[in-house]
Formats: sequence, structure tokens, C-alpha cells
Amino acid sequence: MTDTSLGIHIECVSKSFDDVLAVDTLDLEIRKGEFVSILGPSGCGKTTLLRMLAGLEQPSKGTISIDGAVVNDLPPSKRNIAMVFQTYALYPHMTVAANIEYPLKKRRTPKADRTRLVHEVAAVLQLEQLLQRKPRELSGGQQQRVALGRALVRDPAVFLLDEPLSNLDAKLRAHMRAELILLHRRIGRTMVYVTHDQLEAMTMSDRIAVLCDGTLQQFEAPNDIYSRPRNKFVAGFIGTPSMNLIEGRLSGTGDDRVFRSGDWTLPIRDLALTGETANGIQDVPVTVGFRPEDILLGDTGDEARVTVVEPAGHEVIVVCRFHGHDILLRVSPDIRLRPDDRVRLTPKVDKLHVFSEPDGRRINDDLPK
Amino acid sequence: MAMRKKGSHKILYSIFGWTVVLLISFPLLWMILTSLKPQSELFLIPPGLLPNEITFEHYVRLIQETPFLTYLKNSIILAVGTTVVVVVIATLGAHSLVRFSYPGRKSLAVLVLYTYLLPSVVLIIPLYLLMVKVGLSNTLVSLIIAYTTFALPFALWLLRSFMAAIPADLEAAAMVDGATRMQAFFDVILPQAIPGIISTALFTAILAWNEYLFAMVLINNDEVRPLTTGIMSMLVSSFNIEWSLLMAASVMMSVPLIIVFAFLQKYLTRGFGAGAIKG
Repeated sequence: MTDTSLGIHIECVSKSFDDVLAVDTLDLEIRKGEFVSILGPSGCGKTTLLRMLAGLEQPSKGTISIDGAVVNDLPPSKRNIAMVFQTYALYPHMTVAANIEYPLKKRRTPKADRTRLVHEVAAVLQLEQLLQRKPRELSGGQQQRVALGRALVRDPAVFLLDEPLSNLDAKLRAHMRAELILLHRRIGRTMVYVTHDQLEAMTMSDRIAVLCDGTLQQFEAPNDIYSRPRNKFVAGFIGTPSMNLIEGRLSGTGDDRVFRSGDWTLPIRDLALTGETANGIQDVPVTVGFRPEDILLGDTGDEARVTVVEPAGHEVIVVCRFHGHDILLRVSPDIRLRPDDRVRLTPKVDKLHVFSEPDGRRINDDLPK
Repeated sequence: MAMRKKGSHKILYSIFGWTVVLLISFPLLWMILTSLKPQSELFLIPPGLLPNEITFEHYVRLIQETPFLTYLKNSIILAVGTTVVVVVIATLGAHSLVRFSYPGRKSLAVLVLYTYLLPSVVLIIPLYLLMVKVGLSNTLVSLIIAYTTFALPFALWLLRSFMAAIPADLEAAAMVDGATRMQAFFDVILPQAIPGIISTALFTAILAWNEYLFAMVLINNDEVRPLTTGIMSMLVSSFNIEWSLLMAASVMMSVPLIIVFAFLQKYLTRGFGAGAIKG
């Protein structure tokens, strides 16, 4: 592990606008060189958090430090960070070359070095042919690369990226995603990437910070977040199609432990629970979750009626009516199902996620440290 | 059929349009023609449209025998001075109203508009007394201040809509790139606001150039009179109106404006658009 004083430390940071609390006592430690995504639905405070890192907003409370130094009172220009905006924010009256050169100019880099650095960055991002163009004469992908170039050219300690791919079409987005991963690997700088697109977060990040209503829900590696969501929000938010969540009650202990929801009874004796529930408290309200791919289809189990079939080429998403709930099922295209077909299904108990109610905390298996 | 209908519509529109243009521009045309006629042709009955003989004697007399050039100089100082003062304050003010958040920001913007709604007449006497008190009466500075009172609110609102259209991210990007707030303003915001600034400057210059009421009340000295009141006082008396000279002076007064217009027309129409849609 690297020196813990390096990287970004966010401690107890809150930010309110008038009466609205955008970020609520947030703690986050981002290691030097790490690629961290901040993921959450619109309005969860992720852009506010990024703008506070950039120095464009002041935290109402708490401290932010970069590489061991508190930066709360430093203006953006003194923080040694670069930011790529969702709108790219290229300076429309300057050429591509002038746009990339601007941060160097503000740092009083000598002219000869500026020219050399601009050309180096342009070569990396394949912008050499476009240096004399104005931003409005470029395509979305090219503008995106210029925005990246402007961030890259001065070799900052931290890159902040605010939904940089959301204005691109799907194909270009996939391409730029790969480019960004390569770029991160090559320059090894800390990158903080804000997105509402979980595919981007899952594919690119070392760790993902899931945010909801200004509070941190979970901060772990993509796989851990997917396989062990810490609460009901993360469980429902991560994964496409999303996890099936069914409310019910948990009762019994040991081998007799069952989950009941309406007329559905699911024996879950093999499940390891944590906290008070482990001691066999009778009849507590819980929500169980299971992913669409964690369902056994076969001769046993309870009956469900197929309502919608959505073929997606390599897989088929099936919506079933199951004990009064609509549940999603991910099956191989070889299994030919039609609406109104009857199927029998059982969630895989070892892949079950149990959340206590009403706080929505995960209460089964080994919670990550 | 449809094509022909469209064509005849076009002709009708053109005829209508040109008729309106002619009606509006006739007094201007008459002004130019009269200024070129010799004195003897002025009161001919029936009046001739075109002069039989073109003469520039009135222009020569105007420049050689009257204080016209002094008035012209004063008007230019007034227009330029007012424009500079108003544009500088309005640009910075509009930026502040759009970008910063401070208590009373919205009410401030509305209050500014209210001052614009106040008729100038009610301000004249207080302003006159004020200028006498501070010892600025009969100076061009007093007129620049007076013109600023009614030009600034309008300029502020016009520029505000231009500023609002500039993405806030641009300024943020500049600051992250290492600029101070002031540098970001000059490097990034100002170049974006140039069309708005030019059209605001034009509006202000025209207001100052054509202003009559304040100039009449606040200025009582030939040395600092602008063209508007100067021409009236030197050529129009109770006994006589020097028509030829008056028309020549009017032409000379219009020429600078027409030249400026010709160069900056596209900005002006853009300014109208911004005011209409977002103001």
C-alpha cells in the first residue's frame, strides 16, 4: 500500500445550498494513483463533491486535503488539479492549440516548452491535424479529446472528470472508455470520475463510491459492490437489470429459518446472518434480494407466469409474475419462453442478499471490512 | 401555380416594404436635398424635389462661421465618455448579477430596472441642483453623469441576458486551469461577451448622441454645448430659422451615426434579439 498521507482525504465534508443539503458528512479516502468513480443518481451530490475537490465550491463543513495538505482555502488555480467538464468547456474563441496551451500560459511556462508540450499532448490524443481549428469545427469526440488534452498538458496531481462521456454516442463512448483506461494506466495519476452510468463506473474504476442523497453508501471495488451490496439502495442501483427486491419477514432459527412474503415461503437455513438476527429473533421484517441471473429454473420451486420477454441477443430478460411480485430473470437465449408460459423457479439461496428493515442494512454473510 | 402565387406574394411584400421605407426616409431625404439647395431655391412654389443646382455653401458656412465644430467635439466626447463609463460598469455589474450569489441579488436587478422606468423629467431638477452643489454645472462631466443615470440600467439589463448565455463552466474551467477570477473574466468571459458589449455600446452612444432634454437644462455655456442643443440655439431663433444651415448641420450630425451603424449593424440586431428573447 502507498503512503496514506498521499492522495485525497475528504473528512466529514458537508455542503448545503440555502436549505438543501447536497453533501452530508462525507468521508472518503482516495489513494494516490487510484481511479475512483463517484456513482449515483442525478442530484445525489456527486458533482457538488467534485466541484468541492476542484475548489469551485467551498465545503460548508469538514476538510479536504490533497497529498497531505488541507486545500479548503486554496483557489482552484493553486490546487494542482485538472478538470474535464461534462460540457467540455472549451474556450470557443481560441484554437485547439490555444485551448491546450492556456493552463501552461497561466503557469508562466516558457514559450518553447509550451509549444513542445502542446505538440506532445496532441500526438498522444491524435489531435495534431486539428490544432489550428476552433472548437465549434470539431466533432463531439474531438472536443472531448481537446478537453482531455487541456487537462493532461500540465501533468496535475489529480484529474477530476465530470461525466465526460455522457455527451457522446454509444459507440464513441465505449471507445473513449477504453482510451481513458489506457491513459490512466500510462500516466498513473489519481483520477476521480463522476458518472451516473454504472457501466462506466464498473468497467473503469479501481473503486467505486456510491452516493445517494449526499451520503456515501458504499466505497469498494466494483466486484465487491456488485456481489456484496452494503444496503438496499446499492443493491437496487447497481446491476442492469436491477436486483429483485422482495419485502417479507424472517422467522425461526437454525435449520427452521424461513423467509415469508405473502404465500411464498423460502427456507434459508444455510444463510449466515450477522447481528441480532443471527441469534434467532422471531419474525423480523426484512427485504431479500436476488439478481436476475441468480435464479434456478427447473422442475422444482414455485410457479411463476411469464409476462414479458425481452430478447437482447446474447441473453434474454424475462419478467415473471411470482407470488404477487414482478421479478426479473436473466436466461440464455436457448431457453425459449413466451408470455403466459408457466415456469418453476427458486432463487439461489447462497446468492441471496438479506437487508434488515426499515434501515435497509445488509445483514447476511461476511460484510467487507 | 403554387410557385406563381408565392412569386406574386413576394412582389407584393416588396412593394409594401419599399413604400414604408420611402415614407419613413422621406424626411431624411428632404433634409439632405434641402442642405444641397442654394438659398434661392428653398421657398420655390411649387417646391422642386431635386435641386436645380447643387451647392455645398451651407456646409462651408457651417464649419467656417459657426461653432459647429465645437459642438461636434462636445458631442463626440459625450458619446464616447458615456459609452465607456456605462459599458465598463454594466459589463462588470452584469457579470456579478449573473454569476455571484449574494443576498439581495435578484431584488437589486429589479430595482435597477425600476430606476429605468422613472421618467427623466423627474430627475432633471434634482440632478441640476446636485451638479451646482458639487460644482459640476456647465461641464461635460455633469452630462456624462446624467446620461449614465438612464443609460446604465438599460445597458445592465441588456448585458445581463448576454452574460447569462455564457456557460458558467467556461469560467470554472479557466479557474481550474490556473486563472484567477479576474483573469478568467478577461481571458474567457469578455471575448464571449464582445457582441453584447458592442451592441450595448452602440445603444448607449446613440442615446448620448441624441439626448436633448438634459443637455438643455444642465448646460448653459456655448463652449460645452453638444450638437443637439447647440444647433437649435444657434440656428433657430424667434425671428428666423436658418433652414439651409439647419439641414446641413442635421446631415453632418447624422453622418457619424450612419457610419458607425454601417460597420456594427449585425451586432446591433443581435442585441435586439437577446433583449427580446431573454431580457
